Amino acid sequence: MRSPYMTRLGLAAVLLAAAVAACSGGEEDDSRIGEIPDAGDAGNPSTPDSGPDAGNPDAGEDGGADAGNDGGTDAGPEDGGSDAGSDAGSDAGSDAGPPPGTVTIPDVLSGYNLFTGTPAGGDFKPVEGNIPYELTTPLFSDYSLKSRTLYIPAGKAALYSADAVLDLPVGTIITKTFAFPADFREPDKNVRPLETRVLVRQPQPVGWVAYPYVWNDALTEATLASGGKVFKDFTFIDTEGVTRKFDYLVPQRNQCQKCHHMVDEQDNQHLLPIGVKARYLNREHTYGLQPVNQLQHLASLGKLEGLPPTQQIPRAPDAFNAGEADLTQRARTYLDINCAHCHNPKAQPGITSRLFLDIKTTDEFSLGYCKRPGSAGGGVGGEFDIVPGSHDTSILWFRMHTEISGKMMPEIGRALRHEAGAQLIADWIDAMPARSCK
Amino acid sequence: MNRLPLSRVTRVALVSLMSLLAIPACSDDENDGPFADPNPSTGQGSPDAGAPDSGTPDSGPGTPDSGTPDSGTTVWPQEFTCEGKEAHALTFNPGQEQQLQNAVNDLKPCTTITLGAGTFHFDNAVTIRADGITFQGAGRGAQGEGTGGAASTVLDFSAAAANTNGLDVVGKLFTLRDVALWNAQKDALRVENSSNVFIQRIRTEWERENQSSNGKYGIYPVKSRYVVVEDCEAYNAADAGIYVGQTRYAIIRRNIAKKNVAGIEIENTKFAYVEGNTAIDNTTGLVVFDLPGNPIQGTDVLVTKNTITGNNRHNFASDSGSSSTVSQVPAGTGTFILASRRVEFVGNTWGNNNTVDIAVLSGLAIEPNPVLWSAGFFNFSTSDVYVHHNTFLGGSGESVDSGTPSLAERPLGFLIANLYAYGKAAAGVDRVEHVLWDGIDPAPRNESVANGMNLCFTNNTLPATTKAAVVDLDLEAVQKKLMAATPDIVGAWGETRRYNQGATPFNCTGFRPALKLP
Repeated sequence: MRSPYMTRLGLAAVLLAAAVAACSGGEEDDSRIGEIPDAGDAGNPSTPDSGPDAGNPDAGEDGGADAGNDGGTDAGPEDGGSDAGSDAGSDAGSDAGPPPGTVTIPDVLSGYNLFTGTPAGGDFKPVEGNIPYELTTPLFSDYSLKSRTLYIPAGKAALYSADAVLDLPVGTIITKTFAFPADFREPDKNVRPLETRVLVRQPQPVGWVAYPYVWNDALTEATLASGGKVFKDFTFIDTEGVTRKFDYLVPQRNQCQKCHHMVDEQDNQHLLPIGVKARYLNREHTYGLQPVNQLQHLASLGKLEGLPPTQQIPRAPDAFNAGEADLTQRARTYLDINCAHCHNPKAQPGITSRLFLDIKTTDEFSLGYCKRPGSAGGGVGGEFDIVPGSHDTSILWFRMHTEISGKMMPEIGRALRHEAGAQLIADWIDAMPARSCK
Repeated sequence: MNRLPLSRVTRVALVSLMSLLAIPACSDDENDGPFADPNPSTGQGSPDAGAPDSGTPDSGPGTPDSGTPDSGTTVWPQEFTCEGKEAHALTFNPGQEQQLQNAVNDLKPCTTITLGAGTFHFDNAVTIRADGITFQGAGRGAQGEGTGGAASTVLDFSAAAANTNGLDVVGKLFTLRDVALWNAQKDALRVENSSNVFIQRIRTEWERENQSSNGKYGIYPVKSRYVVVEDCEAYNAADAGIYVGQTRYAIIRRNIAKKNVAGIEIENTKFAYVEGNTAIDNTTGLVVFDLPGNPIQGTDVLVTKNTITGNNRHNFASDSGSSSTVSQVPAGTGTFILASRRVEFVGNTWGNNNTVDIAVLSGLAIEPNPVLWSAGFFNFSTSDVYVHHNTFLGGSGESVDSGTPSLAERPLGFLIANLYAYGKAAAGVDRVEHVLWDGIDPAPRNESVANGMNLCFTNNTLPATTKAAVVDLDLEAVQKKLMAATPDIVGAWGETRRYNQGATPFNCTGFRPALKLP
């Protein structure tokens, strides 16, 4: 009968509060969801971000005329390029034409003019102004190597947020290229990119949209594949020298929403980036020859406003560097980047499961301690999300560790187990003071 | 079920719970939109849940359904309309799977997608995230057909990526009809957070019987509003063939569910008509329940003209060592009602269900900690269950859990099996009565009130061999005596009470559940 609710508030208080709330006359589920504190991940897509920014010149339209910070190397998406004419997704059947600032979505990745060269030539790299970055702890995706870039239109800047996704302006383009080396013991050799995912912030009411581009076999171009693609029986050699074979899934556009989403007060879903948060960007990256803090770099380029003094910027540690933080912080960071895009109070899976794994959640029950899942299905290793002291009876660990279809988490985005990640969570659960959940 | 009932609930906790809930004395009735006023004619006796329509194809290909269910007299509100909007049409044939996948990911609202006859092989889910979409094939084919014929369209997910559903939909005004969904990795059809959903003449099926790996659910609309599932078939799901959950306003009619663990499930759902369905040869046939932790409190469910017979299939749900509800149901359970309120059964047929035709259970039987029911405002109790003018064919209750009771996997069935083994040997009770009530609600039990939860059983047609019709099991007391260090089977049997049809307290003179159904 012991549960965190009771230890904190006392059973009587909980029941009384619930009984009183029941009389409020509101829709019961909605009113309760409304009470949940903000996860911090919202990014406020529903609040005005200056709307269709009328009046401001947009990167998509000012073409090469921009003489600003980009040093003349305008990487801006070309509007009305001939290659975009066949795009079925952008015209929406409207007579009025797209609102100002709309990025036209090309059929091929090169149509964005965000990169030069090709992987085939070994000279594929972002143009100036399309800023590469890394995360302190990245999301795991079947061991793929990822390279990320951020393009913010000329004359615009992101707004700093201490814990939410940076408020990136309309016209922002985020890319992430997924690649595998043939042999992870030589990770720089024979690297084969499979896909480049592109997130574009369009003017309201559209907001963020996601597009997967799949690289051709010759590695000369990546083509828009709205319906995704499955690389059947894809193989690589892992760090132990073992050949791994699995089906690599390039998500469909609709599947992007599974991870990249939040639910607003009207129960509408919005797409949202995941990793572009100050705490994950707060690390160095080598620009030119100089390692520079990524946030400082963005600020110095005029692409980030409101950056506070260094010591006030939060930092998510490298979850696998024990020198950076204690076990709990590292485990919570791993859950935050890998799970909390769904398991937070403003995403559907979090709302359904009441399991909140974002870094802000502090109450043990919402984190899963001795918490029964609503409907976990059978054979998931135990009865409770986390059994303190016992990772192998904890559903949380089971779902991260298993490769069984229908039982593993995340729902999409991995077919392989992340050994190090599952071990980190096992260590964290085992280090908790043991407690019976009965 | 999961844990034996009340084993960890102290009486103190229950007493304090009930007294606290009594203080505000508020109604849990809610005014739910346009149907705040109950239609008094729908509650009693002659449900007008819609005469089955002719089964002729509705508005025809190319036009999204009007959104008017032919049930009741009130037209459902429509949260999205295609009227006045440009209509689009797309057609695909087998071999064009990738084109189809690209198209559904760039859908414009108000598009009708027509699939030609034959078999479509998918390596991923087909996802729809747009409003006003109609998705239709050439026909659902017949049970067992994994290959589309000249007049059927089979969507084959046998080789789809792990962890994916078959058809996966979020959208308003969605219509799906005339396709078969075959061998999905998880749910065959999942519709979530949607409204005005019409699921018509589809078939969901897994190729092999009795496999715990058979996906999960067949037809699975969840967290939605205004849902119709009609003239569909669901086979071999390792959970429910047809499941409607966490939904407001649903019509489930003329469907066939066979060979699933649960045939048809109505879970945490408000305002549901369940009419004219056939649930045969499942582990459990047609069930109505709420789960703990869910914020929607299920109410107002009318179950009428259904056939729920021979649901004796052994429970093949995935490993029962966890919190799955259906994995703990004993084979041969025609219907169970759990943590439900305002549920009316009229004009149905039960028979040949090995364990029991109808079990009426408290939510505390699966989750004894009332705090975990707080999300739905402590909706663990079952009340106002009205079972009248049904036909019971007999042959039920004679072999609990189809003869394979297991304390570890299905403890409630194990307990009932042992209790009735004694009853047969010593008391001449040779079968479980038509209705088994666990005797828990209202909790805590008050022996001076014989039927405080308002369970009514009247005017049903019973087989001539019927002795008693309803049993009050007093599960808490029975469990205490059976699970004592020295089990007391005689004392446990002595705690149970049997009632003939028409006898007080279950004749409920003057009782009307007054379902608030539009």
